Amino acid sequence: MLSRVADALFWMSRYLERADHLARAVDVTFQIDLDLHGVLANPVELEWNALLSLLRQSPPQVREGEHAVAAVQRWLLLDGANPGSVMSCLKRSRNNARSIRGSISPAMWRELNKLHWRLSDTALQAGVAESPHDFCEETQMGVLLFHGVCEATLTHDEGWHFIQLGRYLERAEKVLRILDSRFGLLERSESADLPISNLQWGAVLRNCAAYESYQRLYISRVEPERVVEFLLVNPDFPHSVRFCLSRIMQSLTEISGRLPDRCDDEMVRTVGRLLNDLIYLDGGVLDGAGVHPFLGNALARCARIGHLLQQQYALH
Amino acid sequence: MAPHSTFAERAAGATVSGGLFADYELGAAYDEMFGPQAGAKVMPRPHYQPLAERLRQTSPEDFRRRKAMTDLSMRQDGVGFTVYRAEEGIERVWPMDPVPRIIPAAEWRQIEAGLTQRINAINLFLWDVYHEQHILRDGVVPARLVLQGSSFRREFVGANVPRRIYIHVCGTDLIRAADGEYLVLEDNARTPSGVSYMLQNRQVLKRVFPSLFNDYDVLPNDDYPAALLDVLQYIAPESVPHPTVVLLSPGMYNSAYFEHSFLAQRMGIELVEGRDLFVDGNRVFMRTTRGRQRVDVIYRRIDDDFLDPLTFRADSALGVPGLVNAYRAGTVALANSIGTGIADDKGIYPFVPDMIRYYLKQEPLLNNVETFRPEIPAQLSHVLENLEKLVVKRVNESGGYGMLVGPASTKAQREEFRAAILANPRDFIAQPTIQLSTHPTFVDGRLEGRHLDLRPFVLCGEKVTITPGGLTRVALPKGSLVVNSSQGGGSKDTWILADRTSPSGNGT
Repeated sequence: MLSRVADALFWMSRYLERADHLARAVDVTFQIDLDLHGVLANPVELEWNALLSLLRQSPPQVREGEHAVAAVQRWLLLDGANPGSVMSCLKRSRNNARSIRGSISPAMWRELNKLHWRLSDTALQAGVAESPHDFCEETQMGVLLFHGVCEATLTHDEGWHFIQLGRYLERAEKVLRILDSRFGLLERSESADLPISNLQWGAVLRNCAAYESYQRLYISRVEPERVVEFLLVNPDFPHSVRFCLSRIMQSLTEISGRLPDRCDDEMVRTVGRLLNDLIYLDGGVLDGAGVHPFLGNALARCARIGHLLQQQYALH
Repeated sequence: MAPHSTFAERAAGATVSGGLFADYELGAAYDEMFGPQAGAKVMPRPHYQPLAERLRQTSPEDFRRRKAMTDLSMRQDGVGFTVYRAEEGIERVWPMDPVPRIIPAAEWRQIEAGLTQRINAINLFLWDVYHEQHILRDGVVPARLVLQGSSFRREFVGANVPRRIYIHVCGTDLIRAADGEYLVLEDNARTPSGVSYMLQNRQVLKRVFPSLFNDYDVLPNDDYPAALLDVLQYIAPESVPHPTVVLLSPGMYNSAYFEHSFLAQRMGIELVEGRDLFVDGNRVFMRTTRGRQRVDVIYRRIDDDFLDPLTFRADSALGVPGLVNAYRAGTVALANSIGTGIADDKGIYPFVPDMIRYYLKQEPLLNNVETFRPEIPAQLSHVLENLEKLVVKRVNESGGYGMLVGPASTKAQREEFRAAILANPRDFIAQPTIQLSTHPTFVDGRLEGRHLDLRPFVLCGEKVTITPGGLTRVALPKGSLVVNSSQGGGSKDTWILADRTSPSGNGT
């Protein structure tokens, strides 16, 4: 397939996944913010700033008469001036799709387009000031619907695999970043208040759409070590880093047409090693001081994979 | 000015009145739906009777809902075009009026035969002017008009094009005069667009108003992409058993991008941009994830000027350096060929009927609109004396630009054109203002007559194929004769009836 098409499919999917994660994160932060009001003096500082720093964004300008939290929500969800906002990601995804709309199924284009128009609705956007929930849910459902349509209507050939690469690489990075940022936060605060910790680690799970699946597996309170284990190495949960990496490996294999045991290029090698590190993760890493460095290292390797992909397939 | 009367008055108590047709006005133009029938009473024409009846039974509220569904469908499918304003390209949703335009089988046969004759003559003309130039030496078409035309490609004289076909895709604009005769307004022989809207209009009308189809046998138009692919494969270099065909587009910011992607997808071919292609050793390749891949046929939707910066405009970033030489070497086929613009030049248009007589020894089956050429002294004075009645066009412009519409013009505009015509009479043609036919169209909660034209799409490969239908464009402002979508025009689904239909009610 055309390199330009492969590139656009990858980014269409990656921006969409980014929008999905951000919408979920804003919604989860909004909910936990309400919960923490009862137990902490300044939850806004803590949670919204944590989210901003996770996204590597500085706090936005607050408009006259605007609540600080509302400003963050507007900035992250709607603001066209923020290239990382949900609307901006969606626009970029749609623009990529539009540039190659002949290479995706008409139903996929239609769903993406419908999502764009739904989220552009002024009433829905105005509602964000009071609660971002409807907007965030609409975003997440739209993304799920798009991928459902993609799964069912697009031939699972090379192009489809580039869509998977964009989706799972973005997801792996986001999950790693969420964990990484939570550990960063913990290292800086002394309070290990149990209910608060429970809420916050619960939020980590919710950020990865993992709360119920976690409960089902462990049937216990939210334990930080288990959360990390679940999100890093669970083989079957679609938002675990290991799951993402094995999907990336599969798609790379299909795209290159190589047998998985012939790891003679750097990209396959990088993905394979990270995947193996997750599969054979040393138990000590999970409950010691080793977690945070491991996460940082994994993030760097994901960035490397993205870079190699661009180099190898997007030849412009 | 012809006296206007409402349809209800003239129909004198006929069944169609009130509702959607309240105060339907008939003007001086030919109305597609209504006309004087037996006994001089104004009635729906026979092939429109079932539709008129159905519309009469439809409430304005119901119709309004269906019109809203139409717009929503178009928007959700992302069917639109881009209009440029300031920095940002604005996506406009394609406007379709849900009242279809109907053409009976016999009329269509006549159109089909006329268009076939026309494309054959024009292709023979192009071969001729780029080779021996008999028609110029015989003085049938003035040599100067061709050789000095800005769209004549001197570089292509003597070049051989695959299968001797220059125009593979032609969109010919037809209008109807007050007596109902179909006339050719212009031939679009470069990169005509609109066919995707023809197909999309049908899809959407079937979705929002399926019951309209119950009373008619409408010929499907869905075969167009397959027929186009046949043509493209037919012109591939003969040594290639399974040619790779691509569609070359300027990209997503082009106003016709929707059509480019639509056609590429329906044909299952790659949509490429200039930067996806390169030429190596006079052969064209595309850049793929698995290296280079040879390209054999290019359906190009980029004008000649931008096709190859080495041959034409050097500042074009849309084209492919070296493409023209590869084409000349015969390693790749282009549709349409290079240099077809001379055939739809407004200065050449008046001579198409003569081409038909010259090459085919036939009389034209479809007439041109009467055209005056100011460069002929006798016609110059006629044109200058009648500026307020005529439409004056510059020969090298298209898309509704550079025109004077006499009846709608100001004195200052007429004076400007008078001076320009006197300075360069060759650069202009003039035609009587034709009141394009009208058709009931949904405006402000009821049906009103609006002017329209018809663009059928002609394909020329192993044989000439004309998909039954075409793009009907409607001028939405009252009285307007400008149907271009960039200037606020709408569209209609266009129905060609199967031969067996006998809507006159005389059925067996």
